[in-house]
Amino acid sequence: MIEVKNVHKSFGDLHVLRGVSLNVTKGEVLVMIGPSGSGKSTLLRCINLLVQPDSGDVFIDGVKVNSREVKPEWVRQQVGMVFQSFNLFTHLTALKNVEIGLTRVKKVNKEEAERVARFELERVGLADKADAFPAQLSGGQQQRVAIARALSLNPKAVLFDEPTSALDPEFIHEVLDVMAKLADEGMTMIVVSHEMGFAKSVADQVVFLEGGTILETGTPEEIFNHPKTDRMRSFIGKILG
Amino acid sequence: MVLVALITVLLNDAGIISLAYIESRLTYFIRPVEIGLGATVVSFVIGFAVGIPMGVVRAFGPSLIRRRGRTAAIVMPLYGFVSGYVQAIRGTPVFVQILLIVAVVERLVAPGTLGIEFWGGVVALSVNTIGYQAEVFRAGFQSVGQGQVEAAKSIGMTPLQTFFHITLPQGLRLIILPLTNEWIALFKASALLWYVAVQEIMWAGYHLEYIDARPIEAFLMVSFWYLIIMIPLSKAITYIEKTKRIPGLGSAAEPARKRLFGGRTRSDAVDASR
Repeated sequence: MIEVKNVHKSFGDLHVLRGVSLNVTKGEVLVMIGPSGSGKSTLLRCINLLVQPDSGDVFIDGVKVNSREVKPEWVRQQVGMVFQSFNLFTHLTALKNVEIGLTRVKKVNKEEAERVARFELERVGLADKADAFPAQLSGGQQQRVAIARALSLNPKAVLFDEPTSALDPEFIHEVLDVMAKLADEGMTMIVVSHEMGFAKSVADQVVFLEGGTILETGTPEEIFNHPKTDRMRSFIGKILG
Repeated sequence: MVLVALITVLLNDAGIISLAYIESRLTYFIRPVEIGLGATVVSFVIGFAVGIPMGVVRAFGPSLIRRRGRTAAIVMPLYGFVSGYVQAIRGTPVFVQILLIVAVVERLVAPGTLGIEFWGGVVALSVNTIGYQAEVFRAGFQSVGQGQVEAAKSIGMTPLQTFFHITLPQGLRLIILPLTNEWIALFKASALLWYVAVQEIMWAGYHLEYIDARPIEAFLMVSFWYLIIMIPLSKAITYIEKTKRIPGLGSAAEPARKRLFGGRTRSDAVDASR
């Protein structure tokens, strides 16, 4: 489904990704953990080409996407993204936020777009907030709208970039619940998150990134309960508190 | 307003000014008001239409140039021109710009052509307001957050779609206030067109002073007509700002009355820099 092969990325002198490879099959949930600055967000952005890899390959459904023949806009319609800071369009209502990709990008007619948008809002439990502007919603609600927006284009996979780390603790679970439900429904997901509960119960694969390379990879059970390296052990110790 | 009326009446009773005279001459200004307002409106609309693309070049030029290649080769001279233009307009007095540009227009078009003064004035005001509005738009576009742009990209929008559906509508809402200030400054700057024989409000004041030798009344009437136009207009813009306001986006409207009668405000600062 999503295959990353030996990807390198530098910003100026900063070598952020030093040859990262991973493979996510259809319906699988991969959780990425690691200290800040380890390249998690950059790796995620290399997959939907918000960041162009310097070298290496990214395949989505067997199509090499970081090539001149493939439009980045097309890639981003295949893979949705959810951001740490929600990034809902502030001048649009919740409904319009979900609709706009359909009407403007996929050129779906208005009635159909609204029908899909209302369905997606229903799916994240916010049908009654359709007419609210982002500033009138709580962080948790905003993030759920953002998930609905990412789902509106019927993507093959969704990338989550620390979706709960900007949230007040009381709102974290409602977002994680929506994500768990999504995983249950068979959505392919790559999640950057330090929510251990979520990773343990939902992830099929956990990847530990440090210094731009994958230090360890395995099932949640292997990573959290039987870490192989000392570095991994101490990191787990820290995030579990 | 009440205070101004009261002072006017007191001055009348003291025999310093004559209200009867003012009453007899007030309608003399109707045509000049049309001309002054017309020149400002036409220039402002031109400034808006040209200011947006110039603001785009100013806001996004540097990042496009950094990408190198063919785009950069096109954008670089464009960015240089626009930046130079803005600097030139902001760095010289509007009065000098009017004299210079009207002289150029008259050189290009046969002198004595019907309406040449008016259209020369419109060109001069347009050239001026384009520079200021370009900067207003630049600031507006740049204050739309990077996260908004990234989110637009993430749902597959092209750079043009992102601009028209996200950056432009958000940017326009953010600049209602500075754009209002520019409108006020431009309308007041239009008073300088009397010097190049455009028969607008200030011209009418000078003309009346010349034929009737009543300078205080003449310029009181000039002031009156400017205020009569500014007050409802500012109210209208405040109203637009309220109705178009999106929760959590942009600034709350500053009361229009304060801008007109209060002490120094941002629009005065713009004025002083002209």
